[in-house]
Amino acid sequence: MFTNRTPKIFLFLFLFGGFVALSFAQQNAQALFDNANEMLQEGNYQQAISSYQKLEDRNTVSGALFLNMGISYQRIDSLGMAKYYFLKASQFEETEQQAQKALQFVESRFSRQSAVLPKLPWDIATGWLQEHIGAENILLIGIITLNIGVFIFIAHWFLQAYPKVLRIGGLSLIVVALLIIASSFYTQYISERYSKAVMVTEKVSVLAEPAEEASIVSRAYEGYTFTVDHRKSDSRQEWTYVRMSNGLYGWIPNSEILIL
Amino acid sequence: MRKIGKSFYTVGFFLVFVLLGSPFSWAQSNVSVEASLSQTTIYTGERVSLSIEISGNFNNVSRPDLPQFENFRLLSNNPSTSRSYSYINGQSRVSYTYSYYLIAQKQGEFQLPSVSVSIDGETYATDPIRVNVIDSKESATSEDSSEQPDIFLKLEVSDKQPVTGQQIITDVILYFRDGLEVNSYQPVPGWKAEGFWKEELENSGRPRAESTVLNGVRYRKARLLQFSLFPTKSGELEISPYKIVVAVRSARSGNDPFSSFFSGFGSNQREVELSSDPITVDVQALSATDDATYLGAVGDFDISRSISTSNALVGESIEIETRVRGSGNIPLISKPNYDLPDGLEIYEPQENTRLDRRNSTISGSKSFTDVIIARSPGNYTIPSKTVSYYNPSRGQYITTTLEALTFSIDENPNVIAASENSGQFPVSPVTGLASWIVISPEPADLLGIWWFWAGLIIPLIIAGVAYWRKSYAEKMQTDTAFARSVKASDKAQQRLKKAIEVSEQGDIKQAYNLLQKAITGFISDRLNMPEAGLSNQDYIEALKEQDIEENLVKNVRMLLEKCATISYAPNTTHAYLKSHVGLAESTLEKLQKVL
Repeated sequence: MFTNRTPKIFLFLFLFGGFVALSFAQQNAQALFDNANEMLQEGNYQQAISSYQKLEDRNTVSGALFLNMGISYQRIDSLGMAKYYFLKASQFEETEQQAQKALQFVESRFSRQSAVLPKLPWDIATGWLQEHIGAENILLIGIITLNIGVFIFIAHWFLQAYPKVLRIGGLSLIVVALLIIASSFYTQYISERYSKAVMVTEKVSVLAEPAEEASIVSRAYEGYTFTVDHRKSDSRQEWTYVRMSNGLYGWIPNSEILIL
Repeated sequence: MRKIGKSFYTVGFFLVFVLLGSPFSWAQSNVSVEASLSQTTIYTGERVSLSIEISGNFNNVSRPDLPQFENFRLLSNNPSTSRSYSYINGQSRVSYTYSYYLIAQKQGEFQLPSVSVSIDGETYATDPIRVNVIDSKESATSEDSSEQPDIFLKLEVSDKQPVTGQQIITDVILYFRDGLEVNSYQPVPGWKAEGFWKEELENSGRPRAESTVLNGVRYRKARLLQFSLFPTKSGELEISPYKIVVAVRSARSGNDPFSSFFSGFGSNQREVELSSDPITVDVQALSATDDATYLGAVGDFDISRSISTSNALVGESIEIETRVRGSGNIPLISKPNYDLPDGLEIYEPQENTRLDRRNSTISGSKSFTDVIIARSPGNYTIPSKTVSYYNPSRGQYITTTLEALTFSIDENPNVIAASENSGQFPVSPVTGLASWIVISPEPADLLGIWWFWAGLIIPLIIAGVAYWRKSYAEKMQTDTAFARSVKASDKAQQRLKKAIEVSEQGDIKQAYNLLQKAITGFISDRLNMPEAGLSNQDYIEALKEQDIEENLVKNVRMLLEKCATISYAPNTTHAYLKSHVGLAESTLEKLQKVL
């Protein structure tokens, strides 16, 4: 019944099926995207946004999708939402430049601008690692470095030439590798605990406690960006604990912001 | 002429009828007939006055047609009458009052039937009156009337077990005995009803005293003030005592229940501060409901929503008015939150509350006006919204669905011109092919990655093995005893192999010599003994010190003795040597395990 060729046939069918499914999903996404683009060009911004939203809900995304969503919201003067999607588009290489231009334009249209405290160097470094390399890639680099360091260190036991160099070099690489691995975990921890969020409604009070009757820390307006503390926010279902860009902390209702 | 004259009279009569008939009909509609009783709580055998007051603008009125009064005896069919005439704002008004006297004959609660009166050919009927007749004998013996106060103040609430937010009417009632005359009263400011939101109700006219009997004592009672209280929380809440200062005068003569509550000042007048007892109200908590729909309203309401226009231009304001009408806790009602589509700007809502404090209840309306401005053209729909309030009389939440509101927004030419001048958006949409990625909703956990663990464990294992190997090599170089011990087995094997080779060449004695060196060399290497200068007995002793099995030691001794004595054996063969080599191999193998 089964011959030697049977496993090969199954493997071929599996790979072919997967390829066809992936292609179909991408074509489907592209078709939806094209329809939405037509609506956008015809001025049916609401319908265009609904179509783009379907793609986002399916977790099939692209820089172009987020850029066009931002443009749609900008056209209907929903600048907070526009900023949110331009920020998302700026995370994609192919749309980064356009998104940055759009962000500059949108920022200039907000009626209120918030003061921004400069970031600490360590925060900048962590942000850069998170944005440009990613925790998983940093971990991979650390593991490779660790292995190289261990092999070099072992080599000094058996090789007669340059034993001191091999020993110090190996140990140094191991120490560096452990630091890289630790930074990957720290980057992962930071990315899981903190997120950037954009305020998409007109105005809201940032409160000292997660209760409507709590004292007001500050007022926040459309387009303000916050740093969300997920660990602290997890204790409250409808509230989010945020750090404002001027360094103040407080609670804000979930419905007022979108988390990147 | 005849015809014309007839027509003229007809038209003239018609005009006169219209001109006179209209005010006449209006006047007819303003006629009121009311019956009242001087006291509604009386003793058996006591006389009570029944008054029928007819007022309005009319021409002819008949004497009241009295019904049969069961349990009451009519003293006389001939009433005493009074008549008054007033002319106010060009309107004349006549008032007739017919007074009859009845005597209560039987104890109980009764209803005096309505009395009919014919006015200008039409028949009017009064409302029935409830009367409570008390047995004069029983009441006289029921309690010592001297212990009852002459005058006191009491709070009376309409409901002692309301729900949170329900309107309860609280009357401030003054009781005073016959013979006392109250000239004026003044509330003491500062009355608080903690846990309640309170509103004073408006009552037209001056308080009127009514006769009543409390614990066998006849009092007159008058409602001075009336409040609407709305409990703001559940639990037992206390309405604190209400205080007033009244000016009273004793020695009031006569029994005129229809006289004014306030009389003129006399010489016996004095001021008394009265305080009511506190009242405890058990406020029930509202049953759980959907907070998203509940407006906090408790009462009977009509909720509606309307939009100012269904078509506007970009930038023009549109008003959405939500109106709540009815009776209940109107000022405490909160605005429903609407889900507005994107592209609409909403401004602070305006609230407008109108309260009506008449008719012994708080009623009125509250309206919320949301001002929205669309920033782009298109058709917008504000979805339907479900709202609810609690109706205490029905004991349930009433849910109302506000219909969806649809409106269209057109481009505003002025706004387009302005935006074109104010700078162009610098980015165009991407309309071609896009590169798609599927993102995973959950970020990867670093500790769950297999190569992370492999990358940690594999170098550790390799490092461990390499360290062991390095230590072994070092020991072999530096520790002679260890090196001899490790190499002992291989060395012995080589000597045994050599012994067989030598034996095959015919040199049996040399072969046995090698066999002996193999055994003694193995023992001395393993036990780190000198390589030369030792007798066979020394090796045997050394083995015994190691606590080796006796048979094994015996084999070693036998082999060593055989090797020593073989020179004297004339016919020793190669096969014989091989058997000894085989025994030596197995013996050394066993020795390797124990040494």
